[in-house]
Amino acid sequence: MNSETPVASTAGRLLAAAALVAVTSLAAAAERSWRGVDEMAPEDRALFDPAISTPRDASLDYVPAEPYPFEAPYTAEEMGYRSAEFVHISRWDYALVDVFGVVTSSGYINQGASVGYVETGGRPGFEGYMLDKKAGEIYSKWLLYDVFPPENEGAQQLWLPYRTDKSFRTKMDFFVYSPQLRRVRRQPEPRRDQRFPDNSQTFDDVIGRDPWEFEWQLLGTDVLYETLRFPTSRPSVTLNVPGQGFVERQGASIKPMGENFPHYRADGGVDCWVVKATAKSDWLPGYNEKYLVLWLEKHTFYPLRTEKYGTDGRLIMIEERNAELQNPARGEFGYAAMMTTYWNVDHDLIGYSNHDAHTLRDWTPEEIDMIFTPEFMRRQWLVEPLKSQVLIDAPEDFFLRPHLYPDKFPGERNPVLPAAVQARYDAQEAAGQLVFESPGAAAE
Amino acid sequence: MTRTAVRGARLLLTLVLGATAIGPAAAEGVAADLFSKFDRAMAGFDPIGKHVRRPIERAVPNLTFRGFYRNWSDVMLDDDGMVGFRNKDFRFAQLQNLFELETNYHVAAGLDIRGVAHMLYDGVYEWQDSRGLFADRIDREAELYNTSERVLRELYVSWRRPGFDLLVGKQQVAWGKMDGQFIDIVNAMDRREAFQLETEDYEWRRLPTWMANGTFHLGESTVQLLYIFDFEHDRQPLPGSPWYSPLIPPTTNDVIVGVRRPEAGDFDDHQYGIRVDRSAGALTYGFVYMYAWDKNPVDHVLGTTLNNGQTALRIEQRHERVHHAGVTADYAMTFQNVPLVGSLPAVFRFEALYTNGVRFADFRKRAQALAGRNTDGTTKRDTLRAAIAAEFALPGRTTVIFQPSWYQTIDHREELGFGFGGGFGDEWSLIPVVFFSRPFAFTRDRLSMEFTAFPLISGPDTGWGGLKTKLRLIYKFSQFVKGQLVYNGYDTGSSTDVYGQYNQWDNIGWELSYEF
Repeated sequence: MNSETPVASTAGRLLAAAALVAVTSLAAAAERSWRGVDEMAPEDRALFDPAISTPRDASLDYVPAEPYPFEAPYTAEEMGYRSAEFVHISRWDYALVDVFGVVTSSGYINQGASVGYVETGGRPGFEGYMLDKKAGEIYSKWLLYDVFPPENEGAQQLWLPYRTDKSFRTKMDFFVYSPQLRRVRRQPEPRRDQRFPDNSQTFDDVIGRDPWEFEWQLLGTDVLYETLRFPTSRPSVTLNVPGQGFVERQGASIKPMGENFPHYRADGGVDCWVVKATAKSDWLPGYNEKYLVLWLEKHTFYPLRTEKYGTDGRLIMIEERNAELQNPARGEFGYAAMMTTYWNVDHDLIGYSNHDAHTLRDWTPEEIDMIFTPEFMRRQWLVEPLKSQVLIDAPEDFFLRPHLYPDKFPGERNPVLPAAVQARYDAQEAAGQLVFESPGAAAE
Repeated sequence: MTRTAVRGARLLLTLVLGATAIGPAAAEGVAADLFSKFDRAMAGFDPIGKHVRRPIERAVPNLTFRGFYRNWSDVMLDDDGMVGFRNKDFRFAQLQNLFELETNYHVAAGLDIRGVAHMLYDGVYEWQDSRGLFADRIDREAELYNTSERVLRELYVSWRRPGFDLLVGKQQVAWGKMDGQFIDIVNAMDRREAFQLETEDYEWRRLPTWMANGTFHLGESTVQLLYIFDFEHDRQPLPGSPWYSPLIPPTTNDVIVGVRRPEAGDFDDHQYGIRVDRSAGALTYGFVYMYAWDKNPVDHVLGTTLNNGQTALRIEQRHERVHHAGVTADYAMTFQNVPLVGSLPAVFRFEALYTNGVRFADFRKRAQALAGRNTDGTTKRDTLRAAIAAEFALPGRTTVIFQPSWYQTIDHREELGFGFGGGFGDEWSLIPVVFFSRPFAFTRDRLSMEFTAFPLISGPDTGWGGLKTKLRLIYKFSQFVKGQLVYNGYDTGSSTDVYGQYNQWDNIGWELSYEF
């Protein structure tokens, strides 16, 4: 005779079911690369501080009181602050060739190349920006001299970005020299959440976002095995490596964190924290980006992948980077983006930015006074010519659209594409190179 | 056969087959397909860049070499016929082809030589049957640049040191930051297009001049000094050219004995300029002064004579020495919490130029001269021209500029003609320019639109002077090839107004350019 009551029987079944779910979940977590916060490995849990509200700095009430760069365990907010170290234009003194471009879904390409000089007054890095500069102070000076396309040759831009806060929100002084007009003109700063014309990058993608403008939340951990993907039609790229000259590199051999990164997994993957940054409405009123999901390399907090979601929650952009240790003296803070893709999902625009010939500089006071002024642009003087061979010759040679990872962190992400874009994405995955509105070279 | 050529052949074949084989249902897909094939075929279209520029630059590493070909064509929308004194029996206002080559040779650190040559051919005189167009018979340059002076556009040596630049040779110097010319006074201009000459064309219409141009760079300040030993005068529309004013009678009884221009060989005729600029955070400002010549001559009455049995004036055209003093400034800011747009980046610019000693033709004195009184028929006045511009960066990559521009003749009299910097046939003129531009996201920003309105008001006598409007659509075919469609309208003014005289000159133009 069965003496079990129906209630006890039901509870037993539920318990068994829960155990089964837990076991299944753990088994699934063991198989998949990503884990939610509750599933994180003990060593990761030990590095994470779940606190949401932490003491604030005495002088900057929006900054954590714990001295930057913080110590483990890290709150999600502290991870966000650490990731802000790695903006598109690094906060130290250097010269580079910024080669950038975009390809549309029809195969139209628009590219540019600018020789850039960057001067960062004072302490380099995010610490210098956050702690040494007052809101309203210019923290860096960027001069960009266009060398491609022919129509733009000799055009120049001077960016003088400001340290900002809630009361001082002007992001920069902006000057443009047009060789056609032969005039230096002060321009209004671009709108922060708006992509540049004929491009997929927004102003904030270039200038960076301040971490205090976002609420931070840890979603879990993940492993990334690749970020930028070269098409089968362009297996290699020629880079200008300071000290080595032009060096041909196989696309498949370019790793997300560079050649000599010490923390690659045995299987070649990169361990990442995955954090969600939600825009604070009082800091960013009317901002077009509701939240970001970022994959931060676990040791350096370098943002290898960023997804942007619009105010209606739809996916609007995926940014992926390949980094390189460009400033070894700064240790784990010396990584900089070498190659970046920006996939604007709304318009299926695949953009890239390649920081070639990254050359550390120690600008002399004479050079600083000379180069980083609006009137210098009228001289049309390319003080230090740097060359690059990174420009892409054909539409099908552009980088592939980034991975979608539709199954990762369900409920926290919404990586859904418009049907036509999804079809091109699927066709691209099958072909191994970009597929356009017509069948494209791969299918012909 | 290159990959581009193969694609081009495929595209052509597809177009031919597509036109005969598809039904309406498939039209959209086929159009997208053709569009995509066209884009991919055009992506690498750069024949001169690939086959000329790159080999030259590879062979001579210190040489950079670039250029462009551009075709501008404007066709008028209004009927043929007599307009004022013009026989407007032509439709094309320009069929211009401009080819330009630019080279820079890097001699040594800080030492470079730059040369620019260009050639223009305007087909309006040959490619349409017109009696009203005959300027090419007066001056061949109206049709074709056929002199070394016009073909050799720039040639100068530049010597640069951290705190100093020296450029010596034939060159152009643009002062000012505004749309239009306010303190941009250094070089003369080819104004063959009259009121259709726009800021974006100055680079090709400005007339470079032989000069020494030195600049001292002193931190946030710069001081530029100009010594101009050559003189170029403005080229106004010639009689029988498309934009020659219909208000000017074709003949006059007066006897023009010639034009006296400043001489390069005469030290007293040389010109001098200085410009000082300073940048201070959100504000930049500068001052200019130039001891110059008025680039347009004024009729001086030498006396009277008998011509065709009537008393006529003997006139010599002379340029006048003037003093220009100007100021320029700009200021940037971002407005916060603006209704509808949130933050609103903005820039304000200001420029003003005061000119001392502008000589005007004085029609009262000319009448007195005809009556036998001893006068040269001119009057000197000072003029002021100034503009303030507000530029706003709106959402959707939309730019709006509002730029009221003011022109005033100090101590004006009704009998005065036109003079540099003054009101247009009146004491003052106001042109509150409105500019709007935005790209279209559905074309991935390849198509953009610009609209400009130039309403003209003059006073105290004239009042409304007409409205000029310009609508431009720009399309990027590739990184190297760009096309434009432009509409220019001249409306609502009377036939004797500045803009109104061109009421029958409304036109649509297209421009195709290839840069390598």
